[in-house]
Formats: sequence, C-alpha cells, structure tokens
Amino acid sequence: MDLASTISTQGLTRRFGELLAVDGIDLRVAPGQFFGFLGPNGAGKSTTIKMLTGLLAPSSGRIEILGLDLEKNPVKVKQQIGVVPEGMALFERLTGSEFLNFAGRMYGLDRETAAKRASELLDFMQLAEQPKKLVADYSHGMQKKLALAAAVIHGPKVLFLDEPFEGVDAIASGTLKSMLQRMITRGATIFLTSHVLEIVERLCSHVAIIHQGRLVAQGSLEELRAGVEAQAAVLSEDNVVSGSSSISGTSFSGTTAGPPISGEKLTLEQIFLRIVGGSRSAEQELSWLS
Amino acid sequence: MAELSPPINTRSQLAAVMRLRWLLFAHSLRTTRGKMELASRILVGIAFAIGGLGGGSALAFGAWYFVSHGKADYLALFLWPMFVFWQVFPVMATAFTNNPDSSDLLRFPLGYRSYFLVRLAYGSMDPATALCSMWLAGMLLGIGFASPTLLPWAALVLLAFALVNLLIMQMVFAWVERWLAQRRTREIMGVLFILLMLSFQLIGPVMEHFDKRSSPEVRRLVELLVPVQGVLPPGLAADAIAQLARARFMVGFSSFLLLCAFGTAIGYFLRLRLRAQYRGENLSEVAARATLRERSSFRMGWKLPGFPPSVAAVFEKEIRYLARSGPMLLTLIMPIFMLVIFRLGPMSRQGSFFARAPNMAFPAAAGYALLILTNLVYNNFGGDAAGIQFFYAAPVRFSQIVLAKNLTHAAILIVEVTFAWTAVAYLYGPPSLDIAAATLAALLFAAPLNFTVGNLLSIYSPKKLDFSTFGRQRASQTTVLVSLGVQVFIVGAGVGAFWLARSYANFWIAAFLMSALAAISLTAYRLVLKRIDRLAMEQRETLVAELCRA
Repeated sequence: MDLASTISTQGLTRRFGELLAVDGIDLRVAPGQFFGFLGPNGAGKSTTIKMLTGLLAPSSGRIEILGLDLEKNPVKVKQQIGVVPEGMALFERLTGSEFLNFAGRMYGLDRETAAKRASELLDFMQLAEQPKKLVADYSHGMQKKLALAAAVIHGPKVLFLDEPFEGVDAIASGTLKSMLQRMITRGATIFLTSHVLEIVERLCSHVAIIHQGRLVAQGSLEELRAGVEAQAAVLSEDNVVSGSSSISGTSFSGTTAGPPISGEKLTLEQIFLRIVGGSRSAEQELSWLS
Repeated sequence: MAELSPPINTRSQLAAVMRLRWLLFAHSLRTTRGKMELASRILVGIAFAIGGLGGGSALAFGAWYFVSHGKADYLALFLWPMFVFWQVFPVMATAFTNNPDSSDLLRFPLGYRSYFLVRLAYGSMDPATALCSMWLAGMLLGIGFASPTLLPWAALVLLAFALVNLLIMQMVFAWVERWLAQRRTREIMGVLFILLMLSFQLIGPVMEHFDKRSSPEVRRLVELLVPVQGVLPPGLAADAIAQLARARFMVGFSSFLLLCAFGTAIGYFLRLRLRAQYRGENLSEVAARATLRERSSFRMGWKLPGFPPSVAAVFEKEIRYLARSGPMLLTLIMPIFMLVIFRLGPMSRQGSFFARAPNMAFPAAAGYALLILTNLVYNNFGGDAAGIQFFYAAPVRFSQIVLAKNLTHAAILIVEVTFAWTAVAYLYGPPSLDIAAATLAALLFAAPLNFTVGNLLSIYSPKKLDFSTFGRQRASQTTVLVSLGVQVFIVGAGVGAFWLARSYANFWIAAFLMSALAAISLTAYRLVLKRIDRLAMEQRETLVAELCRA
C-alpha cells in the first residue's frame, strides 16, 4: 500500500450475489486533495464510498485511510474521518443543536467543546434561526447542511461526501463550497461523489471515474484531459481505440468514443462522456417520442 | 410527430396493480428474512383461520337458535361486536397489514373509478374483513338452517352490512391518513389513539360501577341505547332480517333501505376524501418560515456518571426521542393508569384473585410494567431510521450504543415499577419484604433476558418505525413470535416459582429461584453484549437497508 496516500485501496471488490458492483479498484488519494469520484448511475460510486467509510463490508481487497487498515482499526479510522452518506444519517426527532451536540460527543469531544462547536456550526450554516425545530421539519437543503455540519464537528482529516449538493439551493451550495474549500486550504482531504460535473470541475483537483464497477480513469483534471486527447488522436487514425495506458501518473483504461477534438479545452463533462461512452444519439432512437 | 397515446384500459390497469402486489410479495421471498416472515404469517394466518372458523361455527349456532326461536332481533347482539371489531381491529392491529400506499399509484394515468376500486380492494384484504366475512358466513348458515326461505334475504342484508363496514373502514382510514400526513397532526392523532385504547381498559370498572348501582339506572340507560342502536348499521341489519322473519316485508325492506342509505352516505364521504387525494393535495411537512429569530441556545449534553460520554450521548438521544413521541411517552403513564384500574376495576373486588392474594399484586404489576417495554426493547434501532448510518460511521462500539439503549429501557422500567409499587401500596398496603425481593429478583431475571433477545432481534430482524405514528407500521412477524415465546417462558418461570413459594408459604424461595435465574440471564446478557459489535458489523447491510429505506 502507498504510505503517501490518505486514502488507498487495493483490489477493492464488492459482490451482491451474482452482481459485481465494485471490481478490484485501486484508488490513491493524496493528502490535501479535493477528490471527485464520478461515474454513471449504478457504476459503484455509493458502494465504494460506503466501503471506504465502514458502512459496507468489502467482499475482498484492502482499504487504508491515513495509513491505517480500516478493517483492523475501524474506530481509529472513524475518529479521523467525517461522513455524509447517501441517506444523510440524521436523527430526525432531535433539534439541529441537539443532533450536533450528540454527534460531537459520539466523536469524542467533551461536552463544552461539543456544545460550543454545535452553536458555531449552526450559525455558520444559517440553521440557528429556529433552534427548537426538529430535523424532521427541516427542508432537504437544511438537512444536507446539518449532515455536513455533523460530519465536520470533530475537525476530521478526511471528509467523505456522497452527493453533497443534491437538492441544495444555490445559496446553501455556496455556503457548503466555501466551507469545503476552507477545509482544503487547512490541509484536509475531501472525497466526494457528485453527478453535477460542473461543481466537480470547479472544486476538485483530482478525479477518478468508475464505470461498471471498474476504475477507468484516475488523475488530475489536466492529466485526464491529456489522456483523452491522446486517445482521441489515435481514434482519429483508427476510429476506435480500446486499451489502457498510463500518462504521467494517470491511470487510464477504457474506450474513448466521439467526434475528434476540435482544439478547444475539453470540459469534465466531455471527458466523462468520452470515457464512459455516453454519447448515444437520441435522434437515432425513441422515434415515437415527441 | 409522435403517435397519440393509446386509450386507457381500466381493466388492464387493475390487472397491473394486482400483478404489482403479487410481484411485491414474490420478491419479498428472495431473502431469508422474507421467507421467515412468510412462515410467521402462515402461523398467524392459521390462528386467524381457527378464530374465523371457530367464531363462524359459534355464530352459526347462535343465529340458528335466535331465528328458530323467533328472536331474530337478537342477531344485533352478534352484529354489534362484529361491527366494532371490523372498525377497531384494523386501526389497532396495523401490525398485521402490509398494504402499499395506494396513493403512490396517482402518478399513473389511473381513472378515478379505478383508484376508488383499488382502495376498496386493498381494504378487502384486511384480516378483520377476512375474519368478519367468515363470521357473517357462519351466521348466514345458521339462519339458512333455521329458516331456508329467509336465506336469500339474509344473504342480501348481510352482504350490504359487509359492504357498509368495508366502506366505513376505508373512510376512517382515508381521513386518518389525511391527519397523519403531517407530523404534528400525526402526533396528536397518536396520543388520541392511545388514550382511546386505554379508555377501553375502563370498560370493566364502568361495568363494575353500574353493577353496584340500582338496576333502574342501568335499565334507563339500556332503554336509551336500544332505539339508538336500532338506527345504526348492525341494528338495521338485524331488524331487516327479523322483520322479514315475521313476514313484515315493508318494515324489513325499510330497514334494509336505511342500511343502504348509510352505505351511500359513507361512500359519499369516502369519495370526498379520495377525490381530494386523487386531485393531489399539498400536505407539506415543512413549517412556515419563522418571522422572528428565536433565541439561539448553547446547551451542553448530559453526563452519565460512570459511563463513557458516547453512552451518555446515546442515552440522552433516546430519552429525547421518547419525550417527543406521544405514543411512546404514553407508555410511561401506564402505571398511573394501572392505579386507576386497580382502584376501580375487578382487581379490587372482594373475592377476586388480588383480593384473596393481595401479595401477588406487586409481582403482577411489575410484570405488566416490563411487558409495556417490549415494543421498545425488541426493535432497538427501529426509530433511528437513517440515523443507523451515523452509528456505523461514528468511532463508537456498538456494544456502547446498545448498552445506552438498554440503560434507557432499564430507567423506564425503574420508573414504571416505582409507580406500580405506589399503586399497590395505596390499594393493598406495601408489599412485604420477601415479595418485594422475589419481584425484584424476577425483574433482574426477566429484564436482562428480554434485553438479550431484544438486542439480537433488533440486529437480525430490524423494522423501521416512526415513533410518532401508529398507522401503516408493521413489526417484524419473527420479532412478534419470538418475543411472545420469551414472554411465555418468563411468565411460566415466574408463575412456577411464585406458586412453589406460595405453597410453602415462603417467598424467599421464589427470591432465591429468581436470583439464580437472574444470574444466568445477566451472564447471557453480558455474553451477547460482548459479541454485539461483531454481530452488528455482520448485519450492517440488513440494518442499513431496512432502516434507511424511504
């Protein structure tokens, strides 16, 4: 395993009966990276993040977080990470303040510190206006903000976020982004999944793409762009290129498809579509659809 | 240009809904848990079938007796309890229903007629409907044997009676659903519902009260009630049959028409509700934005001396959950309610068991207090819902979380037993030292045993629960059956020990026996608690999947 990585996996695999949801992925996330984990629906993103955070047992493979084996040291690892899982993991019949207090103490903060940080986080997240309101009565966006607040109350070194911007309005989204960026500048590592590629492009320094359970690309945005462009150059000669290559530390394997590159800088969406092959033309199919 | 949408075929839509239900059932059998649920349901179904057939046979005999002796009016005596059961049981025992929310179908182009029919069809699959249908069939058989010529008419009247019941049940559910759609109204409804259930306990004391009074008062009340019951569905159905048995066709037909009018009126109210559902309602949960900024609170969490902060945090969270759950909170007032029952009810009567053996009142009351807790103990994580993910993500051992939950249950038990002791002391005098010791030893045996099995079932057979509601919630059948088995074992052991002690006139024997059992049960509790981390990790997928589902 890579000692320099904050998050590293080796042959991480997860089966659900016959289905191979995650197929031997080897992830490397360096300290201080804002890491975006992308993939189409059902590619294995949430399964991977659940395994990385101890919510799901891998079928095989190893996970190391901050140099600690997750299976052998679950409690030590969990002390240093923060998680906003898919279902947000909230206790709906507590108030926001009570929930944050509870979260702080579960992460080992003393009563006074937990209460102080809970109060500060509520103010920062603009959730302090109605302290007696139960979490069940929060809007979706408010719940997201609260879940994030609970994930950071103990000052984690690594933060795992599963779709943190889903259903969040522009104002709340701005608050969350500024907080995450501040964490990165202070040395934290953030691992997030999102379907909103524009956000990932703007926030993340490094990206990995999972497709049908396999890691098909991993590296910085520039490295991915270079990889796609290199393959597209071969494509222009052979039409379609299949295989794998490694470009300046970037692992890249898969099939690129699509029109030749015009010379403009590729967006993350274009890179993503080329890698996962999502360029099906609607005009060719569903002719009955108005 | 796209083709025009095909015309909607109601029949194929209904067939699709039926197939949906079948698929939901078939897919539920894919897991071991689903198969166990089916096995448990078959057992419960057999019990229901026995009840249905037994009740049907008894009612057949009763109906035959009344009709052949010219007392067909007395059929109301059967129809009234049936009517009450048909309406109350589905609300009380939502544990036995598994109806998917039919309003989910509204996203499809379902005609209003189809929607109405689907709702009625869902209702007709209720166990109460199945039981009452068997009982009505029994009655019909009895009437047919007594007077074959009356059979067609009785069949028509009883069918109308069944339809009226079905409509009332659906109407009640449709309106209750409306009130349950929002958390606050849901909590109010929950509290009212439990108060209603508790008030049934007062029937006995009230009957006792009237028993002691002079008969003219009772007679006046009966005289007042008889005409009232006569114009309500059970009375009307009985009257329609009785009048025809006496060849008073016009009167009998009028009663039948009135019964049908009842059905129509109820159908109208049901239509009113379903129509609103069908058109789409705005039942937003989110409260209006506060105009004034409430005072922000800086408040520290609780401290539990002798326990780690994480245990204190979970303990605090559990207590807060209970304090905000109307239905669950009401369990705490049960001992006070027991006081009332003990004071007014048959337990205080001369010649009753507790009057003859007042020293048994405290053990019985303490046992009752423990029973109240079982719905909490056997589904520890049910109320946590998606919060279970937090427990898995937090750097805390599951044994600490479970210990905190059990501490909460133990705290409630202590409060309830204290109330029970007060009630018994007030009514029968303070329990003797040997009885109190034997009872506490029995609790030390029963509580850890319940906690042990409850912790295991909470992990192996979890069920998501909303503490604020009473409807549309179904405890796992496996849990229900296992918990019943445990209670039977505990009561058997307790009764055995106390009986032995009583026959030797020495309750220290019971205290000794129960202490020995308590030692075993506490050891079992500690052993299971030690292994709970591993078990919880092994079962994390089951727990997360069940508790985090929408």
